Amino acid sequence: MKSISEMVSKKPWLGWVLFLGTIGIVFLLGLLAASIIERRAESEFTYKPDVIFSETEPRNEIWGKNFPREYASWLETADTNFRSKHGGSATRDILEEDPRIVILFAGYAFSKDFKQARGHYYAIDDIRTTLRTGAPKEGSPSPQPNTCWTCKSPDVVRVMKQKGVKEFYTGTWEMLGSEIVNPIGCLDCHDPKTVNLFITRPALVEAKSLLGTDVNKSSHQEMRTMVCAQCHVEYYFDKKKYDGVAYLTFPWKNGTSVEEIESYYDSIEFTDWVHGVSRAPMLKAQHPDYEIFMTGVHYKRGVACADCHMPYINEGGQKFSNHHVQSPLNNISASCQVCHREETAELIYDVYSRQDKIKEIRDQLEIQLVWAHFEAKAAWDNGANETQMKPILKLIRQSQWRWDFVAASHGSSFHSPVEVARIITHGLDKAREARMQLQKVLLSLGVKNGIPYPDISTKAKAQKLIGIDLASLQKDKNEFLKNTVPSWLRKATEREKKYNVKYLNAE
Amino acid sequence: MIKFFKKLLPPPSWKIPLLFVSGILMGLFAFLFYISKAHTYLSDDPSTCMNCHIMAPQYSTWFHSSHRERAVCNDCHVPHDNFFNHYYFKAKDGMRHATIFTLRAEPQVIFIKEAGQEVVQQNCIRCHGDMLNSGNTKMYTTQYDDFRAERHCWECHREVPHGRVNSLSSVPHARVPKPGSAVPAWLNNAMNKNK
Repeated sequence: MKSISEMVSKKPWLGWVLFLGTIGIVFLLGLLAASIIERRAESEFTYKPDVIFSETEPRNEIWGKNFPREYASWLETADTNFRSKHGGSATRDILEEDPRIVILFAGYAFSKDFKQARGHYYAIDDIRTTLRTGAPKEGSPSPQPNTCWTCKSPDVVRVMKQKGVKEFYTGTWEMLGSEIVNPIGCLDCHDPKTVNLFITRPALVEAKSLLGTDVNKSSHQEMRTMVCAQCHVEYYFDKKKYDGVAYLTFPWKNGTSVEEIESYYDSIEFTDWVHGVSRAPMLKAQHPDYEIFMTGVHYKRGVACADCHMPYINEGGQKFSNHHVQSPLNNISASCQVCHREETAELIYDVYSRQDKIKEIRDQLEIQLVWAHFEAKAAWDNGANETQMKPILKLIRQSQWRWDFVAASHGSSFHSPVEVARIITHGLDKAREARMQLQKVLLSLGVKNGIPYPDISTKAKAQKLIGIDLASLQKDKNEFLKNTVPSWLRKATEREKKYNVKYLNAE
Repeated sequence: MIKFFKKLLPPPSWKIPLLFVSGILMGLFAFLFYISKAHTYLSDDPSTCMNCHIMAPQYSTWFHSSHRERAVCNDCHVPHDNFFNHYYFKAKDGMRHATIFTLRAEPQVIFIKEAGQEVVQQNCIRCHGDMLNSGNTKMYTTQYDDFRAERHCWECHREVPHGRVNSLSSVPHARVPKPGSAVPAWLNNAMNKNK
């Protein structure tokens, strides 16, 4: 047996055969590898559920096993690093940044604690920690009803299904503490059977049917707004519908504009609270995001909330909606530049210039309102009577309602700057009228010198002025978080163990 | 000189292993050439641009435009001033695209780069030059150099030809030519027979 090298040196053509043969074999091996890789890639394109879960599965991480891309992007709502000029996902203490708001909400829970909302991921954490929900314990319930949970969790869908809607809205906030534990997620917007968008909150269905629309007949593009409109809207608790029930209701009977909603509240003589300084019967605007968005040009052109806040993206050739719901300012490319081919800096400038200008006039209205509240207080203190004050307090109510409709609506100054400027202008007019009449009343009572603008340069000063003891509220809250919440979580974990989940690919 | 080169040559005892090693390398290179469809890049066929699937929106919007009847991708996106510049630019841009695609570094919304803009602008003029200097349109264009030369045609003709919605995910269901399977039919058939 001769060695190969000897054979090749005798017959050089044999060397060429070996050389070309190697090329051929490697090439064929490559083709085989390609075939194997293609077969493996096929699995990526077939929908293969990992788990089968029940129709009331509230845990986002369980859904996430079947929809990893959507779940992974949803998890990013936990990010709190983005800070735009006026918003973002970072926690901002609104009362610290603008202490006037403490005065405007005097006598109401928002004067205690008011923070910029963080991502959906924190919905449950934040409703537990805000001072507005109080520190319930044995014998002293929360000042808020169970209805406050309605927009916080997919557990709401489960509990409403099991208990009934009316029953869900009954009782005080801590009663459902161990039931509502998963933050806003999959089941809030997606039908567990088809994963299509669907409406889970009865208030939207009821309000839309009053306006003559059947929400469930919305197109897919409309649904990409309607699922958000389940919560990002103005609402109130109807306590007259059923005895002892705080029934979540959208005040859209007369329409969705600031005036139409106000006329509805007036017609049912609704008041959120009596103002702590001026004693005016106030309305609190919640967050009329959808109502104001509907008046803007993006809505008119058929753009849905999700188009900018959850833009479509492409990953590995797969199109899906980015579930990192956030400010589009943090994602100009996929949110704006799909349609607007301008430079990023230009687009951001356009947004900021609208926001800055609206902030400018909104601040003016805030100053007028603070002044009006204190002048009303001075009038009361100097012996004004109900008949004198009634029309003035109504003007204050109307003015602050207009301010709040704009201030509470997330992104209002970008969604619809012209409508927002119109609302603020009417608010300023009402405040002017209120203060004119207050001057007359004060003069008639012999108060000749003007009422000075209070020193409310910081949150602490403003809260001291209206008698809020933040330290003791915070102490109670900390005890509640330390003692009560862990027992809620233990109960929830026990319950969730019993949910029916079938793992299909378990080892 | 020849001695120097001979020094670089491997000793004869390496001959057989080297033969295999270079065979493997050549085979791999041939396979890479084949699987990346490198030969298609010499053509002007628009389906070549679809070797990278992220170009689907560009392809399908062009395919539904009137430009489809007259112009293919390279007519607009590669310079036509001279032979060398044509292939130099094509190679340069092609390498950049291939690199970005391979590294998965593509943005969600693609913008044309400045060099590409200049090429497209010159190609607009190459075909539509009449619009700029015909007597009929003189009144609009006498001051072309003063007022128009620094602007691009598509600042006004914004939909030409790729439409107004730009995103990798803007046309998920468009029917566009795909690179297809790298596995040749005969191999597929052979494997299917074994079943």
